[in-house]
Amino acid sequence: MRGAPIVVVACGVLLLAACGGTPTGTNPSTGGAGAPPPPQASLTGAGATFPYPFYNAAFYAYNLKFSQVSVNYQSVGSGAGIQQLTKKTVDFGASDVPMNATELAAAGGSDTVVQIAGTLGTEGLAYNLDGVATGKLKLTPDTIAGIFLGTIKNWNDPALAADNSGLTLPNQAISVVHRSDGSGTTYIFTDYLSKVNATWNSTVGKGKSVSWKTGQGAKGNEAVATTIKQTPGAIGYVELAYIIQTNMTQASLKNHDGSFVTPSPEGATAAASNFPDVTPTQFSIVDAPGKTSSPITGYSWLMLYKDQADKTKGTALVDLFDWLVTEGQSYAVNVHYSKLPSNIVRQDIASLKTVTSGGATLLNVATPS
Amino acid sequence: MSRGTATERVVPTPLVATSRQRRLISGDRIFHAFAYAAAALIILIALVFVVAVVIPALPAITKFGLGFFISRTWDPVRSQFGALPAIYGTLVTSAIALVIAFPIGLGAALFLAEDARLRFLRGPLSFAIELLAGIPSVVIGLWAFFILTPLMRDNVDPFLQHTLGFLPIFHGTASGYGYLTAGLVLAIMVLPIMIALSRDVIRAVPRALREGSLALGATNAETIWSVILPYARVGITGAALLSLGRALGETIAVTMVIGNTMQISSSLFASGYTLPSVIANEFTEATGTIHLASLFYLGVVLVLITIAVNVVARLLVWRFAGSEPMVA
Repeated sequence: MRGAPIVVVACGVLLLAACGGTPTGTNPSTGGAGAPPPPQASLTGAGATFPYPFYNAAFYAYNLKFSQVSVNYQSVGSGAGIQQLTKKTVDFGASDVPMNATELAAAGGSDTVVQIAGTLGTEGLAYNLDGVATGKLKLTPDTIAGIFLGTIKNWNDPALAADNSGLTLPNQAISVVHRSDGSGTTYIFTDYLSKVNATWNSTVGKGKSVSWKTGQGAKGNEAVATTIKQTPGAIGYVELAYIIQTNMTQASLKNHDGSFVTPSPEGATAAASNFPDVTPTQFSIVDAPGKTSSPITGYSWLMLYKDQADKTKGTALVDLFDWLVTEGQSYAVNVHYSKLPSNIVRQDIASLKTVTSGGATLLNVATPS
Repeated sequence: MSRGTATERVVPTPLVATSRQRRLISGDRIFHAFAYAAAALIILIALVFVVAVVIPALPAITKFGLGFFISRTWDPVRSQFGALPAIYGTLVTSAIALVIAFPIGLGAALFLAEDARLRFLRGPLSFAIELLAGIPSVVIGLWAFFILTPLMRDNVDPFLQHTLGFLPIFHGTASGYGYLTAGLVLAIMVLPIMIALSRDVIRAVPRALREGSLALGATNAETIWSVILPYARVGITGAALLSLGRALGETIAVTMVIGNTMQISSSLFASGYTLPSVIANEFTEATGTIHLASLFYLGVVLVLITIAVNVVARLLVWRFAGSEPMVA
């Protein structure tokens, strides 16, 4: 992965410095006064790789704060995470795309599973062009679609030149690099293209793996990033955290409001806050309105059963998630993920309050305003 | 012994076994039982494995049938799946690996087994082969990804295009990722098997044949060409097919350099895909039933190809063997 242990240690240190926290509720995890600490529990989760660096750092910090709660998260992939949750071999699952109706039916029906947004990620288009620095190359929804459909084949294409006056683009073939493994990153990128480009929507569509029209595949964000760095004239979509951590050059993207933005964690939060009605069935937040919104943005989801058989474990789990979506969000910034907007935090907490054990609600906090 | 007489000597051994003999017999029985159990277990494991791959593949087998083998579409969004590009990539990369590894492996094996002059090189060469065999495939893959692909793109591919560019297999732009690079990586990975097995087979050629040939006035080269290689060819074929088997199933190193593109191209510079690579890439995030079943179906296809290779190997061995003595 991407140097996770170092990140974890860094976060741990930061936590010790800043774990005072301002009391906001009655959940002891989030600093509520007078409430009992979370019960002793060992929690297991499995699922998506995309949010793993953030979850890893956050769960580690939580364990430093409440040593009686340990969390073991295995980043085995969204599909495997959903399967393990369905078979009840884990306490919670994580997926870049919420469970759909079929998957929910397999897990016991749409009302048995609570799905909350756990973190927010955004993507940029990284490229390898001599002398073209970050933000200098401007791309529009149509040129991005053209490049990934294979209709724009050369960097000196008139369509690219039209948006980039003042920039001399070389006569060089474009090498498209995409993910070869099924991934939430690909889902969000193809979801974006499907929304902004009709041709893409009708010929390729959206999915964690799609039938690519051009380019070559590389396994994982790391390999995509390295392939772009090694190949002159290459371009590909990469999770923002990787772009920042590996100092890649990335394009400035034209968003829904027509302004060119360089994707950033703040831009992702801005984009997300423009979709107040996100639910596990209506979860797409790509091509968001707003002047500063990063266009290629999406949530990653956490799933747990609404009726927790083990009250102690259930209490520890909802306490943990309540902390994760509020105070825990500060760890997202350290690993270049974006903070959840406040409307989603409210919604997450409201969902967590529906989790029960033996009929009793497990999380007793006030929903933040 | 002094007390023995002539009459005593002709007394037949008693029919009742001595305790020592009885122990031996029961030891025999235990050994038999163990050997039979071990053999049965291997068959059982193979069967369980085949069943475990075929059953999850059933939804895809019923949906796509044999059309799966000739369809070029791999579209998870529309749940349309076909294996042809991956079958093609698997066969092409393995063939490249064999074309490169066979002559080099055989040459190295002949050197190790036959050449008496540069004996001091045998130790280091044997060590190098063992080292190569011991390197995990992910490490070879990383080396290929970081070092070999730029080298191929900037040096090897342009050279091939310049000198042999009239062949369609060397057409098109070279990105460094593709069939040729993957085949080269596979060649490196199968070389140790090829060398070690061929060496043992060549060493097993009877000394009398060798000396007979030399005594008749044949040179070393003639002896190797007309006596040793014909004698050992069954074993060498076996070595080549075992190498091929390894190449067919190799996953991670190939995934890193093949380019992972579902296409069929006559150019060896082009990106492609192999059966194991598709499975490795898409398995973790495949959530749809048909998608998952199709990945298992790819596994079935791979098993079938492996069986086909083994059958061909058997046929070749029988054909070559004929009345000739068999080595290996």
